[in-house]
Amino acid sequence: MAKIELCGVSYVYSSKTPFEKKAVNNIDVAIEEGSITGIIGHTGSGKSTLVQILNGLLEPTSGKVLFNGADMHAKKTKLSDIRFKVGLVFQYPEYQLFEETVESDIAYGPKNMGLDKAEIEKRVHDAAKFCGIEEAILKKSPFELSGGQQRRVAIAGVMAMTPEVLILDEPAAGLDPQGRSDIFGGICEYRRKTGATVIIVSHSMEDIARYCENVLVMSKGEVFDYGSCDKIFERSDELEAIGLDIPQIARLLRRVGEMGVSFDKNIYTVGEAYRSIIPFIKGGGGSAS
Amino acid sequence: MAVLLRDITLGQFFPGNSLLHKTDPRYKIIIAMVYIVSLFLAKGVLSYALVLVFTFAMIIFSGIPLRIVVRGFKALMFIIAFTAILNIFWTKGENLIFEYKFIKIYAEGVTYAVFMILRLLCLLTGSSVLISYTTSPIALTYGIEKLLAPLNLIKVPVHEFSMMMTIALRFIPTLIEETDKIMSAQKARGADFTSGGIIKRAKALIPILIPLFVSAFRRADELAVAMECRCYNGGKGRSKMTKLKTKPLDIIMLLVFSAFTAGIILLNGITLF
Ligand SMILES: Nc1ncnc2c1ncn2[C@@H]1O[C@H](COP(=O)(O)OP(=O)(O)O)[C@@H](O)[C@H]1O
Ligand SMILES: [Mg+2]
Repeated sequence: MAKIELCGVSYVYSSKTPFEKKAVNNIDVAIEEGSITGIIGHTGSGKSTLVQILNGLLEPTSGKVLFNGADMHAKKTKLSDIRFKVGLVFQYPEYQLFEETVESDIAYGPKNMGLDKAEIEKRVHDAAKFCGIEEAILKKSPFELSGGQQRRVAIAGVMAMTPEVLILDEPAAGLDPQGRSDIFGGICEYRRKTGATVIIVSHSMEDIARYCENVLVMSKGEVFDYGSCDKIFERSDELEAIGLDIPQIARLLRRVGEMGVSFDKNIYTVGEAYRSIIPFIKGGGGSAS
Repeated sequence: MAVLLRDITLGQFFPGNSLLHKTDPRYKIIIAMVYIVSLFLAKGVLSYALVLVFTFAMIIFSGIPLRIVVRGFKALMFIIAFTAILNIFWTKGENLIFEYKFIKIYAEGVTYAVFMILRLLCLLTGSSVLISYTTSPIALTYGIEKLLAPLNLIKVPVHEFSMMMTIALRFIPTLIEETDKIMSAQKARGADFTSGGIIKRAKALIPILIPLFVSAFRRADELAVAMECRCYNGGKGRSKMTKLKTKPLDIIMLLVFSAFTAGIILLNGITLF
């Protein structure tokens, strides 16, 4: 079943002023329940706008957003409930920390949900665990942490609301490789434990290929393509034409393929590549797969 | 609040290509002053009619949509209503038109209130059309700096003030955008800025204000370092990339506005009744 469905959704910023700007245009997308979807696209292609529409922060200028099959902006639905169920982590979320301690910052969301104290405490600790935040850090001020730690605290702040859909806008932007894999590891862990639907906006094809099942490619405010990783990465030439790239390892294997040694075409991560290259080398050449 | 921030069109530049857009900022500041002084000179129906026609023509010439100008009035609604009421009830005159217990309204009071409202609206429209809507903030501060340059002689740091103003103006949109972002992010965590009593609402602002201040200080710090890295050390010996030069258009504008003032003085002398 589709968890969130967009039907002909468009959004215009500063409508009816000289600064009018069409950010997303006529989008039809259905996000399956329990799936993990990557959104990729050039800067300014409307990714951030799209995710804000997905959790009801922006009301589309035209078109409908269905959550669990019901119109999100219908009169009788309470938007605040939707926002608790569709958790959105903004780009650079560390700039939104404000509480005195890490613990109370993570508790801000659950508190707004009106939960009781024991439940809040439990959720804070669970969320901290997903994001790899140690107990000792919980009592510290968020402003004395490193950038990577702050980012994790901010993500934990949204996970603590245990949303059914977790959306993250470039969660790993500007982090070192260790920080990146920690964050993605935490997201996968959260998904495994709660069965949540996950949507990740990213610039990095590598990350998307590694962690996502489906890819939504945005270009100039429109959906360029939407489908499984295999299906999308097959169109590598067209992706390059809109300024995107397929994972480097896939490009490498394709080059090698052009030189006459063919590997499985659907390899996008270093791990998979390793598993198919090593037997080839051990086998002393010839044809792999 | 996000909506509120957007509604303040006062001090918002609308890029365009009109004659007013092309006028030198120094001249625009001067003609704005001429315009305001003329407004206060106007007395009587005829001169007010001229003011209205002239102001309306100014809006048309600037190419700013009338809707935008009218939206700017909203911010001043309260002040306008307040002055109007004050004038209606407290002006004493000869022609009593309404009396109820201690409330007395005179015809003079009503006329005076109408003139007052017109004057305020024209003041707002004129100054925003002449200055904020058609002059980019950077051009405006440059114009002010040039006009105030003589004050340098008595050791007023004109350049520093104008630099401070430029920076402040430069960062207003950034801060508004940032406020918007932080508000959205806290809303995504269930923050509610629109319900509850005044104390609850004030408290709801904390999650916005703290991140906003933190980031404003961070930005200020980064900007200071970046300016030092490019060897900024105050106004002495600095030159500008684009120099302001008086064009025929500027002189014509000045003449048109002087004619407007003269017209008002003339019409003041003619009595209708
Ligand atoms: N608050 C805003 N006001 C006006 N225009 C905006 C705003 N936010 C984004 N835009 C514009 O909408 C387009 C899409 O932006 P965005 O959704 O942020 O793209 P992305 O996240 O893919 O970089 C861009 O052209 C951007 O300039
Ligand atoms: Mg973005």
